[in-house]
Amino acid sequence: MARVTDSFRPCVTWANSGGKWPDMIFSTRVRLARNISGFEFPGRARPDALGRLRDGALEAARSTRLFTRGHYIRTAALTGPEKNFLIERHHISHGLAAAERAGAVVVNNDENLSVMINEEDHLRLQSVEAGFSIEAAFERVDRLDDELGRMLPYAFGEKFGFLTACPTNAGTGMRVSCLVHLPALSRSGQMPKLLENLSRLGMTARGIYGEGTCVIGDFFQISNAVSMGRSESELCDGLDRTVSNLMRLEITAREKLAAPRVRLKTEDGVFRAYGLLKNARTLSYGEFMQNISLVRMGVAMGYPIRTDFSTLNQFTLLMQPAHLEAMSGRRLEPEERDAARAEYIRKNLP
Amino acid sequence: MLCRACKKKEATVFLKLAVNSKVVEMHLCGDCAPYAADGSFGGLDIEPMNMAGQGGGACAFFKEFLPRDKRALSCPACGLAYHEFKDSGRLGCAGCYESFAPQLSELLTRIHGNCRHTGKRCGPTAGAPAPERTRGAARASSSVLRQALKKAVENEDFERAAELRDRIRKLEGHG
Repeated sequence: MARVTDSFRPCVTWANSGGKWPDMIFSTRVRLARNISGFEFPGRARPDALGRLRDGALEAARSTRLFTRGHYIRTAALTGPEKNFLIERHHISHGLAAAERAGAVVVNNDENLSVMINEEDHLRLQSVEAGFSIEAAFERVDRLDDELGRMLPYAFGEKFGFLTACPTNAGTGMRVSCLVHLPALSRSGQMPKLLENLSRLGMTARGIYGEGTCVIGDFFQISNAVSMGRSESELCDGLDRTVSNLMRLEITAREKLAAPRVRLKTEDGVFRAYGLLKNARTLSYGEFMQNISLVRMGVAMGYPIRTDFSTLNQFTLLMQPAHLEAMSGRRLEPEERDAARAEYIRKNLP
Repeated sequence: MLCRACKKKEATVFLKLAVNSKVVEMHLCGDCAPYAADGSFGGLDIEPMNMAGQGGGACAFFKEFLPRDKRALSCPACGLAYHEFKDSGRLGCAGCYESFAPQLSELLTRIHGNCRHTGKRCGPTAGAPAPERTRGAARASSSVLRQALKKAVENEDFERAAELRDRIRKLEGHG
């Protein structure tokens, strides 16, 4: 039987570098949480109702021109490694992978637009763009929302807006986020204070895979924590301002790392990381991310390492465990994975 | 005095019921009392507990005298009790927003600093109809709309039901 992972291209366009601050901003995502009127939320609905809803939502997605060529995947048919691959690709969440119910995901061919069905909410619409592109990401998901909303009766109330299983998402149902790389701020010890300030602004910082995940390789997902009482454009503007301010702080922190007093130490750290990646025979994902983070910062600071941000972004995606297994075409033991990762990086890091 | 039902908390409510010519007296805590009154209480082996058959009047009457947070609130649409929501943080259906409106207004204000949606709107007036629709889409949405209609009728939300009926007719080309 063909594996789901075989139908996906190894690289995705949203992992290419682009937009403003390509050295610091990996990607921009917008997700909208929607529920269908007349059905209980997935956590409470009966399995047969969820099955009907899934089939109706799949049919509705199929009829939008946005998914003419795409992947239509029912989660019940997925193996563990296939689920992990889709999690690493950010197409499904840990929650949907673990839920034993009639779930599904639809992903377009460019892998920049998707709908998760029967996760915490009936529908989770998501669009992703390379770099810092809040407007483009919002426009695409908003168009999908309009198209699906004409076919499916959304649960919406005049006062509370779009009604979601968790009240933290009610109102717009929107979460707009940027995946940013902040190695200098992380090393400066300013992050705890900054994270505190973010929460005062109605913003939050999470790990690379979203809610409840840890920070790896100095990548932070910055997003709105508040979804009600502000319009979609206000939420987009808020994230734009917050991320722009963070970028300025990161630039200042990088300038400090390049100051004559500490320059040698910084350079030494970057080239040690580069040397490790170029020579290691086994590399765990954590170790890889920790070192590629320093190399990435070195490239941004103009050190003579002949690579670019698109290559480094694709490495970050491809070196994840399930991606390595998909590339090798078989199940790998953890030691085999670490060896395969080290070998790939040795060969492909310029 | 300890609550007769849970035998853990201090009894704060004295309940005296007369059912089927029998008088039953109980000392209960605020958490157990609403369950005793509406007959959903399994821990007591006395007949008058089955008040559901009496039309639930005693329960409704009794709850009025309980502090707001002690009432056994639940959503009539999906049956989710408010305390279940407090434990899990997840609501059961869209109807919960109406069933728990005062509590949620307070909670949403705490979370978002506001409890009124000011963003995109949804519904028949929100956007123009789709320029064209495939047969598959019509079939998918009409089946989902029919489910929504059934639910609206069950909940006696006739205004919503009429709106859904019109949408189904339009979709199926009868309107």
